[in-house]
Amino acid sequence: MSFFNMLEQISSGMLHTILIFFFTLVFSLPLGWIVAFGRMSKNKIISGITAFFISILRGTPLMLQLMVVFYGPYFLFQLPIGNWRFPAIIVGFSINYAAYFAEIYRSGISAIPVGQYEAAHILGYTKVQTFFKIILPQVIRIILPAVTNEVITLVKDTSLAFSISYIEMFSITKQIASTQTTLMPFAIAAAFYYIFNLLVSFVMRRLEKRLNYY
Amino acid sequence: MSETTIYLEMNNIKKSFGDLQVLKDISLKVHEGEVLSIIGPSGSGKSTLLRIATMLETMDNGSIKYMDKEAASAENGSVHYAKPQALREIKKNFGLVFQNFNLFPHKTVLHNLIDAPVHVQKRNKTEVIAEAKALLEKMGLSDKEDYYPSQLSGGQQQRVAIARALALKPKVLFFDEPTSALDPELTGEVLKVIKALAEEKMTMVIVTHEMSFAKKISDRVIFMDKGVIAVEGTPEEVFNSDHSRMQEFLGKLKHE
Amino acid sequence: MKLRKKILCALLTISTTAALLTGCGKKDNKTFTVGFDAEYPPYGYMDENGEYTGFDLELAEEVCKINGWTLKKQPIDWANKDNELNSGSIDCIWNGFTINGREDKYEWSVPYVDNSQVVVVKADSGIKGLSDLAGKTVGVQAASAALDVLTDEEGQKELGDSFGKLQEFADYNTAFVELQAGSVDAIAMDIGVAQYQISGRGDEFIILDEHLNAEQYGVGFKLGNTKMRDDVNKALKELKQNGKFDELAEKYGLSEMTCLEP
Repeated sequence: MSFFNMLEQISSGMLHTILIFFFTLVFSLPLGWIVAFGRMSKNKIISGITAFFISILRGTPLMLQLMVVFYGPYFLFQLPIGNWRFPAIIVGFSINYAAYFAEIYRSGISAIPVGQYEAAHILGYTKVQTFFKIILPQVIRIILPAVTNEVITLVKDTSLAFSISYIEMFSITKQIASTQTTLMPFAIAAAFYYIFNLLVSFVMRRLEKRLNYY
Repeated sequence: MSETTIYLEMNNIKKSFGDLQVLKDISLKVHEGEVLSIIGPSGSGKSTLLRIATMLETMDNGSIKYMDKEAASAENGSVHYAKPQALREIKKNFGLVFQNFNLFPHKTVLHNLIDAPVHVQKRNKTEVIAEAKALLEKMGLSDKEDYYPSQLSGGQQQRVAIARALALKPKVLFFDEPTSALDPELTGEVLKVIKALAEEKMTMVIVTHEMSFAKKISDRVIFMDKGVIAVEGTPEEVFNSDHSRMQEFLGKLKHE
Repeated sequence: MKLRKKILCALLTISTTAALLTGCGKKDNKTFTVGFDAEYPPYGYMDENGEYTGFDLELAEEVCKINGWTLKKQPIDWANKDNELNSGSIDCIWNGFTINGREDKYEWSVPYVDNSQVVVVKADSGIKGLSDLAGKTVGVQAASAALDVLTDEEGQKELGDSFGKLQEFADYNTAFVELQAGSVDAIAMDIGVAQYQISGRGDEFIILDEHLNAEQYGVGFKLGNTKMRDDVNKALKELKQNGKFDELAEKYGLSEMTCLEP
């Protein structure tokens, strides 16, 4: 296989990696808020259950979680899972990352002084207005560096999708390497991941700069 | 003074934190156009009283009325508030200036002022902006409207906070130790603004440690001690009172 | 605004692609999904053009032609092959799949390749026979037949126990890199795989003459799925008779090893 051919094959795997990356962020970033609110709920049962799920999701390997999500429907409910592979990846990744994002959001929210809530309350803001107009913009600025870290980790975590046989960039790389009996594909894959993360860092840095207006 | 309208009425307010009773049956009235200063040693309950009046804190017993409408009443720890719609109307009657300003750091000075009038009171934006600019001019901050709070001195920030409270046109304005987070050289500019408001007959309730200031601008002074109103009256009456705790308090201040 | 439109466009493109990737290939009777390890040449691997191919996959293609099925090639993580098969996400495991020792775990097709487990060492290592491996580090693929042989009481457990260490690895490429680097002294694997790997890497490596055992390859179906197994058996027989099977064996250099009865 020529170098160009390898590049072409690995880039086709890259598309799948980007799909996982993209859909995981689309679902986990908002889902993280719901989990964070559950965690911070005054209802002890809700916050207890949420805390338990967060600890499970953060305390077990993502690879195992992917297997549970993919094979679970069959082994628990005898449902056919032939076309469930890609959705299972997204569900597994999104839930896992939502747990991490939730803890980041929670730390961001608790970093906002209580005086901000009191000032908003006195000025007549409703709870929803207070959250969206006063608290959230400040929280986003606080949590952005931590979110960036998670996003970069996600780029690399996408390779775990192969544990349930979803063929993304890293598994294609391994396949080419084994057929061609060379390590060159790994060097190419490393470069791809690196460039991907350079892009991610660049975008996040731009965002951080834009939010650094005050 | 009895013929003027009563803006705020608090009756039989009691409040405990755990075993510590910080307010023991407090009643007071605030009349239209009146400047009321509340003084007293730390832990006397004056700040708690202010937080209960502005409903940031719940009370155990008692009732709060603004413009003769009941905002909240409590008995044995269970508080009953007016219906949400009515409560929202009642809350429009007062504003609060915090010790730590609590400006919104992500909004410019102008937006700190106009955001609530525009989005909470749904008023016309152009009109609100014009009013806000006038307020800033009055506070001597015309050139600062596009600054963020972090770019201002403490004294400037507190003046913005006062302007923000005034932008909602409250009937009563509360101050919770408005100068105690400021360097001494910056307190003057804030006190000057409050004095100007007093001269315009703005109704104000001021919790403060600035005795000479309280003496100068107040119509009435309340001295609180250990959860009760120990002395109440005109500045002359209170500051010349022979109440032993009052004398002790003033003496201590002198020696500080 | 412009940027927002561009992002929207990108979103649409990506989600459409995703829908195509996941939505296609609706499962019906005519789809035959073969699970295979794509890092297992010459039986199943990725070719120059990025297509999955190999002896087993081409054979499966021919079987599908005869039975009127559509072949779906699903690369799998070998360690998860039973989950894949039992959950129905694949119809069979067809990938140099050793029957011996797994007789009762699958519905087996007729055996079609006679394979042996062998040991590969560096040519200059001085290791001549299995007994020289005592105290050495031997690599073996996780969940593979070679591993079974070396840990099974009825197989070569005694030999396996004489090794200094039995080092499991995920794929053969890594194993060969480690062998070359000297972090393992030998690798146990199927002879077909060994020949392929060595032909690609030059004469730096040799296969020990002494084999670990002899064994046969078959296609594994989920227990109870005899209908599909019988269809495959019938087609295999036909391929043997019309010469197609031997043709493919020759193409992949496996002629010496086939055992399919006409």
